[in-house]
Amino acid sequence: MTGSYVIDASNVTLALGSGAGRVEILRGVGLQVASGESVALLGPSGSGKSSLMAVLSGLERATGGEIRIADADFTTLGEDDLARARQGRIGIILQAFHLLPTMTALENVAVPLELAGREGAFDLARAELEAVGLGHRLTHYPAQLSGGEQQRVAIARATAPRPALLFADEPTGNLDAATGAAILDLLFERQRGTGATLLVITHDPALAARCGRVLEMQDGRIVRDSAA
Amino acid sequence: MIPLRLAIRDLRGGLAGLRLLAICLFLGVLALAGVGSLSAAIIASLAGRGQEILGGDVQLVVAQREATAPELAAFEREGRVSRVTRLRAMAARPDGAESVLVELKGVDEAWPLFGSFRVRGSRPRGAQVAVAPELAERLGRRPGETIRIGSAELRIVALIAEEPDRVGQGFTLGSTVLVDRDGLAATALVQPGSLYTSAYRLQLPPGRDPAKVAERLRKRFGAAGFQVQDRTDGAPGTRRFIERLGQFLTLVGLAALVVAGIGVGNGVASYLDGKRATIATLKLLGATSRILFLSYLFQVGLVALAATAAGLAAGALVPAAVAAVAGDSLPVPPRLAFYWAPLLASAAYGLLIAAVFALAPLARARNVPAASLFRGDLEPSRRPGRAVVLIVLAAAAAIAGLAVGTAREPAFAAGFIGSALGLLLLLTLLGGLIRWTASRLPRPKHPVFRIALANLHRPGAQTGRLVVALGLGLTLFTALAAIETNLAGQIRSVIPARAPSFFLLDIPVEEIGRFRTLVRRAAPGGDLVTIPSLRGSVVAIAGRRVADMAEIPPDAWFLRGDRGLTYSAALPEGSRIVAGRWWPTDYRGPPLVSLDVAAARSVGLEVGDSITVSVLGREIEARIGSLREIDWDTMGFNFVIVFAPGTLESAPHSFMATIAMPEAQERPFARAVSRAFPQVSAIRVKEVVETIGSMLAQLAVAVSAAASVAILAGIAVLVGALAASRRARTYDSVVLKMLGATRLRILAAQAAEFAALALAVSLVALGLGSAAGWWVVVRIFELDWAPDWGVVAATLALGALVTLVLGLLGSLPALTARPARALRAL
Repeated sequence: MTGSYVIDASNVTLALGSGAGRVEILRGVGLQVASGESVALLGPSGSGKSSLMAVLSGLERATGGEIRIADADFTTLGEDDLARARQGRIGIILQAFHLLPTMTALENVAVPLELAGREGAFDLARAELEAVGLGHRLTHYPAQLSGGEQQRVAIARATAPRPALLFADEPTGNLDAATGAAILDLLFERQRGTGATLLVITHDPALAARCGRVLEMQDGRIVRDSAA
Repeated sequence: MIPLRLAIRDLRGGLAGLRLLAICLFLGVLALAGVGSLSAAIIASLAGRGQEILGGDVQLVVAQREATAPELAAFEREGRVSRVTRLRAMAARPDGAESVLVELKGVDEAWPLFGSFRVRGSRPRGAQVAVAPELAERLGRRPGETIRIGSAELRIVALIAEEPDRVGQGFTLGSTVLVDRDGLAATALVQPGSLYTSAYRLQLPPGRDPAKVAERLRKRFGAAGFQVQDRTDGAPGTRRFIERLGQFLTLVGLAALVVAGIGVGNGVASYLDGKRATIATLKLLGATSRILFLSYLFQVGLVALAATAAGLAAGALVPAAVAAVAGDSLPVPPRLAFYWAPLLASAAYGLLIAAVFALAPLARARNVPAASLFRGDLEPSRRPGRAVVLIVLAAAAAIAGLAVGTAREPAFAAGFIGSALGLLLLLTLLGGLIRWTASRLPRPKHPVFRIALANLHRPGAQTGRLVVALGLGLTLFTALAAIETNLAGQIRSVIPARAPSFFLLDIPVEEIGRFRTLVRRAAPGGDLVTIPSLRGSVVAIAGRRVADMAEIPPDAWFLRGDRGLTYSAALPEGSRIVAGRWWPTDYRGPPLVSLDVAAARSVGLEVGDSITVSVLGREIEARIGSLREIDWDTMGFNFVIVFAPGTLESAPHSFMATIAMPEAQERPFARAVSRAFPQVSAIRVKEVVETIGSMLAQLAVAVSAAASVAILAGIAVLVGALAASRRARTYDSVVLKMLGATRLRILAAQAAEFAALALAVSLVALGLGSAAGWWVVVRIFELDWAPDWGVVAATLALGALVTLVLGLLGSLPALTARPARALRAL
């Protein structure tokens, strides 16, 4: 392993449940991603894409293997340490947006900055929302925003702390084609703007084509790596 | 402070989710604060008006005699003295058409030393009388008209509005008739041997300690039969009753709060359940579980504080509300003020209960994995950590400690808490048993009923909570029904079939022959029993002076105050000798007594021991010849102390009598006795029973009021538990509808589920509720156990039906959900 990889994972396994109900979800995944890369993760449902992302983003602890994310050893950290490790390092964008319904757009974007203890969290959040074209929607609640706008808030929330790594799980899955295309433009633009590494899960070949590298998963393993 | 900021933002979503927590905590705290404030207000009133209630700083009371000149002189050396003579008497219309038992009170000019005697009219002097308004009404007499009491015809000059020392007199059967010393003398009712008491109230000079004066007087005059009290405890019986009732109702309130606590737990759990996505998202953004725990602790704490404060505010108003609604039925009007001690205790109970029941779901919520955003939330929640378990146990211990520590009878409170905990444990086990059984029963063929069965045991099922909530509610229903029907039944059953119609008091010894003749004429066939009667107090037992005893055992009530005495050649009816032997009918030896066995055992007296009784100031030492077991339910004459012939006959005394007769003869008989024997008091048993009945009814109302809060809390818990399972039920019913099930079928399945639950819980509640009811009736009220099982069963069935209906009503929103819309939202 070398320090130049933002993601440096080897032989990662994940099993859920126990006894007869035990399911092997990841079966020895190895992956290295360099800083600033954009990677698409393809594969049929149940192939382990989302689980790999959950493990790499510290939302789930791997059952085995080694994972280093932006120089932090995720294999040895407990749940709360993983949460702290995410602060400012990792931004996550989900298909269903998952904005906090009782907070305004501005507050939603400010939360990760506040949790990371950044000075001027609200100013940074405002700037980020203006950057995604939502400067006029700062005080709106999620329920008052369209799907596309909600996903833009989610992108701003993920990129505002300037993370080293951006994870996106089917970011356009809940959007129509035109809005989805606009969101992808924005996602790549913000990635370039912040210099973050991007790992995006998708079924969309067009989105995969925009990434510098494409991985394909099957049965909990990476079966194809376009960079290899 | 990030947790606080997150909490405030999260609360914008509204507090509706915490409504159950707020309602349950409000009800529980209201019950406790209300009961506590009311009893504190009544006790404060008793204490604050001690001089008025007692009638003086110190009071000395002696039975059947006046103080001697040296005694009176000694009292007068202590301070200003007021004399009050009290006795039961008959007040009659002059034509004898109607006569009523009254409490005759002869007062001197100095009365009342404290407080004010308020009348409509003027203070009676000489042949004048002031009467209670209800008495004037009963006799059909107005001010200006006359009534006859004993040998005197007295003119009503006033209706009594307020008698300052009424409460201190304790329970009386008749309403008050007030005369001055001359008026009393005119009645000629105060005769040697007649049953009257003389009270000497002292107003001490400023600066004198009434307790010390009372102690000195007790030492000096106790042996002469004087009972001495001071103003600090003017109405000890009333105070003891209020304290004991207050404590019992506090424990009922605490039970209500525990039921409410389950609602608190359910409310918090379902609120946090609705916040799982938010919690997971915040974790995804880097929030630690500590931040999340604190954030939700703030929210729950804020609502708990607000609900507790509202409960306290409402509870503090209870004394005023009760005074307004039931002013006359309270022994004294409550002294309206804020009583911080019960309010603080209630607040502590409320917040501790909130901690006990809310911390576990809060701790579970902090463990919601962020990955649940990817993968549903079927993963079982992890158990709360050791620190949380320790805090919960500490809070529970603090509740028990507070309840036991502040109780007048700690063992009683500890027993109550132990039983409540046992009940909770038992119901929790029952919940587990039902789940376990349901998971092992063969699967029904019909998918709808398969789902009904699965609802009882599937992951996330509410069975455990429902069983605890329902179990507590139905147990309470059952216990209450048992207690109430028992109290009502008691009133009926205390009148044995051959109970006498009248008790007749103060029949002069020399007139007993004439009296018997009158009875034969006025009530032919009437069953007359006469017995000699005196009053006396026990001053020594087995050589020990009662006045020197550090503490009188609670059961040894025969050592307190003056008691009825009699003498008899034959063993009284309804008594059975259990030790020693009854004396020969022609006994003429040294003084011998026969004692009630329970009274004797309470102080360790045995046959052969000595007992000294003061009668009219003279001490008589007698040997215990036998111990008797008395059947108190016969409602005949039952004396704890019966003398052998040859000792008491020479003391001035009178006779008492009971007579049974058909009801139609009762009124003419009362008229005849009143005309021929104006000095004889005739107490109609039916009226006594009615008086006791209305007192028991008031007791039942107090118990019901405190317990109804528990029932309300139980219903809130039930509704809350149903609300918590609504998401799963909506999902099931929508999917079933999508697959072609009709609403009726789905409803039938849910009815089957609730009916199974209600049946199992009802059976357990019947057992547990009956046991609790028995405990309250037999151990606390010291009454016989005779509930009306029909009513108990009907109440339980009604409770189970309410459960079923509430359950189905709770399921309606799930049932009416439109499949397409609901599937999108789920």
